[in-house]
Amino acid sequence: MEHAIEITGLTRDYGQGRGLFDVDLTVAPGEVFGLVGINGAGKTTMIRHLMGFLRSRRGRCRILGGDCWRQAAELKRHIGHIPGEIAFPDVKTGLDFLELQASYTALRDLARADDLAARFDLDVSAPLKRMSKGMKQKTAIVAAFMSGASVLLLDEGSTGLDPLMQKVFTGLVAEEKAKGRTVFMSSHMFDELEAVCDRVAFLKEGRIIEVARIAELGGNEAVKEYKIEFAAAEDYQAFLARRFDLTRRQDQFNQASVRIARADIGALFQALACLDVKFITQVPRTLAAHFAAKYHDTEGAHHA
Amino acid sequence: MLNAALLKQTVRENAVLWTVLTGVQCLMVFSVAMNAPIAAAGVAYYNLLPGIFAGIYAITVGNRLICAKVDRGTLAYVLATPVRRRAVTTTQAAFFGGSLLAMCALGAAAHCAGAALSSFGLTGADVRTVLELNLGLFLLGWAFAGICFAASCVFNLTKHTIATGGGLVCAFLLLPIMAMFGQNYAFMRHLTIVSLYDVPAIMAHSAGWFWGLVALGMIGAAAGAAGSWAFTRRDLPL
Repeated sequence: MEHAIEITGLTRDYGQGRGLFDVDLTVAPGEVFGLVGINGAGKTTMIRHLMGFLRSRRGRCRILGGDCWRQAAELKRHIGHIPGEIAFPDVKTGLDFLELQASYTALRDLARADDLAARFDLDVSAPLKRMSKGMKQKTAIVAAFMSGASVLLLDEGSTGLDPLMQKVFTGLVAEEKAKGRTVFMSSHMFDELEAVCDRVAFLKEGRIIEVARIAELGGNEAVKEYKIEFAAAEDYQAFLARRFDLTRRQDQFNQASVRIARADIGALFQALACLDVKFITQVPRTLAAHFAAKYHDTEGAHHA
Repeated sequence: MLNAALLKQTVRENAVLWTVLTGVQCLMVFSVAMNAPIAAAGVAYYNLLPGIFAGIYAITVGNRLICAKVDRGTLAYVLATPVRRRAVTTTQAAFFGGSLLAMCALGAAAHCAGAALSSFGLTGADVRTVLELNLGLFLLGWAFAGICFAASCVFNLTKHTIATGGGLVCAFLLLPIMAMFGQNYAFMRHLTIVSLYDVPAIMAHSAGWFWGLVALGMIGAAAGAAGSWAFTRRDLPL
């Protein structure tokens, strides 16, 4: 099988520019794919289509070669899911819930659930109604991962977890990847996506504006940012006079950050050759910065 | 096509309401049977009260079975497993019908028990009358259940289900009462499916009542099937 997940021309128009429009996406088996975008960008709508809760008006979604709408029930044998809004059925404890979910999937061995609960420091015997947001999220995570599904659809799976547990969560996703499982996850946390994803799609107003390969973000950009500190204020002022594309200046430290295109790197070093430079360092391009730049580029294009 | 895990969970979720309504109904019919012969108790009792009980049960449970799970989002955890939507509706409908049947069967048993323990006694003809009255009551409840179930399958919000399914059932129950307010309102008796449950005809063993019950059965089945059909084809905001 070529693709674990395949979305072709998916369109779902809710009116007033909301929904999904001509979304094309493929996720390879064993890949961790992230989905990022502001609230209302269409992340949850996309996952609902993949889960077979919504029927596409145009285009199609396939998981492991099966149609997400027509073969929804059959596909669930291979899918683990964390919904965007967690609402547990009317059962008393976390354990009751996990046992109920296991009975739907004919899962007899809950050893994996026990192991996951221990890793997340979750007391599954606690009443669901008294659980905090974080505990409920942990219970949902255990339910999604306990069956060993080959495809995981996680709609903001780590929401409500404390930083320590977020690390446990990203570790768990990395482990699943190592086992060859495919993960499709939406998140607002760039650090989390950077830590585990192979690729991340930026969704804006229902359209994918960019699919970034995380491995290529850390040094292969066409435009890089450099931070430079000068030994003396005169050198600092002389550098500022050269009118490079400044992104930040800290006069008190004689520090300036500039964006330089790959082709112009020679001009930068030429300018620095006659100045007393204390240090120069490349500012790594984070996913957040990449997203912000892309977002502004499309905003600019939109207003132009 | 039934899902055992879902059925078990649904029984658990509705056990209290079913027990309370069935218990109250059994106590009432038992008490009536102790104090009046079946021929007299039948018309007085079955004409009004059990229909209201069946209506309350249909409105409350009908909403709970599908729509409340969509509204709250708990259905996401059922449909995140290899359970088909058709299996969900079939299982919930089976519970609905089965629980109503059990409610009526226990009501019939309580009626017979009350009559047998009373000074009026219980004859074979009495047993037949009680069974026919409760079969009719079951089919009236079945029709109410079908209507409420259909509304539950179609709407995402509890308030819409209650307003539509519940509103119809309440109207059907209120129209015969309105018809009692004089000749000018008598036509209202013909606007409600409650009239298909012809208690005086059953008591009198006269012809015609059977087909009314058949019609109630068909209304319930058709409404339920239509709701199930719609549910398997529609979007769910889960």
